[in-house]
Amino acid sequence: MTFLETIAHIVDLVPVLLRVTTPILLAALGVHISQKAGVLNLGVEGMMLAAALAGVLASAASGSAWVGLAGALATGAVLGFLLSFAIHVLKADLILSGIALNMLAAAGTTLVLYMLTGDKGMSGSLSSGVLPSLAIPLIADIPVLGRLLSGHHVLTYLAFAMVPVVAVLMMRTPFGIRLRAVGESAEAAATAGIDVARMQIAALVLSGLLAGAAGAFLSMGYVSWFSQNMSGGRGFVALAADLMGYGSAWGTMAASLLLGAADAFVISLQGKGIPSELLQSLPYIVPIVALVIHARARRKRFVRI
Amino acid sequence: MAAEPIIRFEAISKRYPNGTEALKGVSFSIEAGTIHAICGENGAGKSTLMKILFGLERATGGTIRIDGQPVDISSPRAAASFGISMVHQHFSLLPSLTVAENILLGQEPRRGLLVDRKAARERVAALAARYNLEADPDARVAGLSVAAQQKVEILKALSRDVRVLILDEPTAVLTPPETDELFRRLHGLRRAGITILFISHKLGEVRALADRVTTLRAGLLSGDAAMGDISDAEIATLVMGTTKTVPPLREPHGFGAERLRVDNVVLRSLAGADRLDGVSLSIRAGEILGIAGVDGSGQRGLVSVLTGEVLPHDGDFHLDGRSARGCSTAALRKGGMAHLPADRFHQGSARTLSVVDNAIAGAHRSSRFSRGAFLRVREMETEARRLISDFSIRCPGPRAPLSALSGGNAQKVIAAREFATAPTFLIADQPTRGIDIAAAAFLQGRILDMARQGTAVLLISADLDELLALSDRVAVLYAGRITAVLDNGPHLTPERLGPFMLGLEDAA
Ligand SMILES: Nc1ncnc2c1ncn2[C@@H]1O[C@H](COP(=O)(O)OP(=O)(O)OP(=O)(O)O)[C@@H](O)[C@H]1O
Ligand SMILES: [Mg+2]
Repeated sequence: MTFLETIAHIVDLVPVLLRVTTPILLAALGVHISQKAGVLNLGVEGMMLAAALAGVLASAASGSAWVGLAGALATGAVLGFLLSFAIHVLKADLILSGIALNMLAAAGTTLVLYMLTGDKGMSGSLSSGVLPSLAIPLIADIPVLGRLLSGHHVLTYLAFAMVPVVAVLMMRTPFGIRLRAVGESAEAAATAGIDVARMQIAALVLSGLLAGAAGAFLSMGYVSWFSQNMSGGRGFVALAADLMGYGSAWGTMAASLLLGAADAFVISLQGKGIPSELLQSLPYIVPIVALVIHARARRKRFVRI
Repeated sequence: MAAEPIIRFEAISKRYPNGTEALKGVSFSIEAGTIHAICGENGAGKSTLMKILFGLERATGGTIRIDGQPVDISSPRAAASFGISMVHQHFSLLPSLTVAENILLGQEPRRGLLVDRKAARERVAALAARYNLEADPDARVAGLSVAAQQKVEILKALSRDVRVLILDEPTAVLTPPETDELFRRLHGLRRAGITILFISHKLGEVRALADRVTTLRAGLLSGDAAMGDISDAEIATLVMGTTKTVPPLREPHGFGAERLRVDNVVLRSLAGADRLDGVSLSIRAGEILGIAGVDGSGQRGLVSVLTGEVLPHDGDFHLDGRSARGCSTAALRKGGMAHLPADRFHQGSARTLSVVDNAIAGAHRSSRFSRGAFLRVREMETEARRLISDFSIRCPGPRAPLSALSGGNAQKVIAAREFATAPTFLIADQPTRGIDIAAAAFLQGRILDMARQGTAVLLISADLDELLALSDRVAVLYAGRITAVLDNGPHLTPERLGPFMLGLEDAA
């Protein structure tokens, strides 16, 4: 392989990498916001799954992919609100509520799917729209750069655009400062006159919106159907990405890319004679290894403060 | 007196959900534009009363009147609308936020959707200049010394429109010059018409500052008088009942072999307050070495190194002749070290755990309190009961969570735990901060006892009187360096130490 061919090969991998990173990044940014507010959104997996189905249903009913996206976002936001309702009004445990949400979404989506289509596995009989990819005029025609920057999915652009938005939101706005204050010490924030419950509700609704976008990408990004458990653990991968992100939106993006790369690597090796069971376990092994390395790095003793 | 009092407490009672009666029908008035001190032993109910006024706790009986009108103060937000601000006994700062973000939390200046950082910086700088309390707006609070955090707390309280400023033991962490400075500022605030409620265990401060003093004892009002009409001894009697305290006495005794040796320790920390620039020390068995110095001169760095929390970049230290550099905190503790941390609430205790758990923490693996994988719960409780009675800790019982104890009583739990380990090397960092007169005398007596029995003690204290009463030698720390090591004696006075503490003289 010549040098140029190698470059071309790598350039070819970039779109795959961005594609698999998109849902992880969207969900991880949502987790990031919730974690900063002290209400880690463990229900992110379930929110993605429910939103993926809701997107397909809304799109099939209306005939528009965009209405489908709106349905997915709304579903995520409502679930985020319900989770905060459970915690603040019903005084339920945060972790248990998150887990319950995941179980409910897994069973609930299957039930709804079966009731509407008579099929427990796939929503093939409903025709949903597909959200578009965008070619950027002019840039699309530049040889290598065009391939890198143009032609990605609209939600991929959204995901990466959300990184600076979330970073600025958290670090530079009054809302973000209060959110972080609540997450660090609810008691101290309340003393300063901040409404803790309201901030945490807002955080979980935002988190749900982002999880909803991730869900829409799964069912309407490149395909036009929902399948049982199609989130496939990406919500948990997103939780790992947030933990590895050193508490910043940019770090969360870097971690999401790393975990996405593991996924992309697997895809590129498929059909090359490696046992598929081994391949499919890789995206789960990488977060474990990464978290272990990350935990060890944090034990460095010199810089405490 | 024509004007209505600005605040009137009428038969205020407070019964906490666990049954503790913290206040039993307390009535008194606070005149506008005065400095009003509230005194009482640890657990007397001072903080509870202030929390009720600030809307953090609800009274279970009685009425608060502001300007003669009965009011309902249901939250800190409501208190703010009446112009009431509070500096809390336990800091309510957020370590990961900057000074400016902390001070302006909830009232950030905006430019469009964003925080106007420039305006925020300017507002903090103006506030700091106005009250002459220096603070770097962009510093992260986590890196500040305790005294610097105290200043930020006060600035935060003053950042809103204040009519009434509540200060719950604001001077516990300040050195004498810093306290004097604060007092000048508080007098200035009074001239500006602000009413100040001031809680302190130090009668000298109350005398210097207050116009009037109210004393509480076990939830009851025990006295209320203008400062001119009451002597210090009378206040002490009203606070403590009949008990008399005997100030501890240092007796000369011989020292044993060198216990702690610190050689040229260097710590290049991110926060200036922790930096050490080649510190060497030595403490013999039975000796108390006092560390004097303005807070933030490297005390925290020195303690972090000696307790094994951080590895120094250079230099070494030896305990009983063995190098201890790189030893874990657990190993050092096993080797006979005990550590009473200055920040008892972040470092020394777990607020939601019980008194027993806090009192045993660290010793829970010893054969005394565990058998195999199991804890010996009854042994633990017996020991906790013993500490509670030895240190006269006021609490509902050993199983109560630490958060249900008054500030001073929670501190006593931590002190009791550390002293109970019978250490060969004790680090006592601000041992009597926030502790009432009688209990402070008791703790100081215990430190002297331990030294007599051969413990080497590193004593860090912002209170120079305490330092000079207990220490055999005093080392002065300034900007991460030891600027003098002086033998204690009648010739050693706060005035003699002053120039070294401020870095004007250097004998090293
Ligand atoms: N949250 C709580 N739950 C139950 N009891 C409490 C709680 N807070 C305080 N108490 C009890 O109320 C009494 C008064 O406590 P308070 O904190 O008002 O004392 P204080 O006078 O401020 O003492 P200190 O000088 O130690 O700060 C104590 O007996 C304490 O144990
Ligand atoms: Mg108190």
